[in-house]
Amino acid sequence: MCHRTVVAVQREIEMRGIPTVLITVSPEVSAQMRPPRALYPKGFKIGNSLGRPNMRELQRQVLRDALSLLLENTRPGSVVTREYPDYGEQYEPPHVRN
Amino acid sequence: MTLARKCVPFTPFDGDLKRMSIALVTAGGVHLREQEPFNIADELGDLTYRVFADDVESTQLMVTHHHYDHTDADQDINVVFPIDVLRDLAAEGFIGGLARKHVGYMGYTMQLKAMYEGTAPQIANEIDRGGRADAVVLTGG
Repeated sequence: MCHRTVVAVQREIEMRGIPTVLITVSPEVSAQMRPPRALYPKGFKIGNSLGRPNMRELQRQVLRDALSLLLENTRPGSVVTREYPDYGEQYEPPHVRN
Repeated sequence: MTLARKCVPFTPFDGDLKRMSIALVTAGGVHLREQEPFNIADELGDLTYRVFADDVESTQLMVTHHHYDHTDADQDINVVFPIDVLRDLAAEGFIGGLARKHVGYMGYTMQLKAMYEGTAPQIANEIDRGGRADAVVLTGG
């Protein structure tokens, strides 16, 4: 749910003429709402958008990668997946049921 | 303005990250300890949001949200609201700095129409008119 409404907010900000990027750990749910730009750090669980607590270098890398999407030629409405082995144990994201 | 979901609003990013002020918005239920917590007792959810200044102390932030496990955020708020991480990127020159305003809200609600037509545009107004952000990073939680 949070990963759905956050895209509504993102789209509103984008409509004001301010570029945005979403970090989502529920990529299928966010993708349904068609985010202008989005990064999925693969295998991160809900509640760990930037990684685990106090893993500051990993958190910095995720945030740099998210911001770097602003400069890339991404496809609006899609989610870009990146892998971060330093995160450790991987989690399966929630799937959308049709 | 309403927009069909299949249309995607898109503002090209024109400029240099090194000169840009960045704002954070999270749906992860983040608020200041001194601010009113989000109402998790109401099963319809909570449509309100909280605004933080650019000098907000991360230790003064907390999470009230009952739809995800926020024990990691309780230890380090940066896992859902990377305000100190953003400061690190400003210090290393990756971005210009922090925007004046940042926003937390609780993304859980049963009142989706009110969220889409009320809360979402209000948050966008805070970021646009009040915060003067050049770009925004959002997190779902």
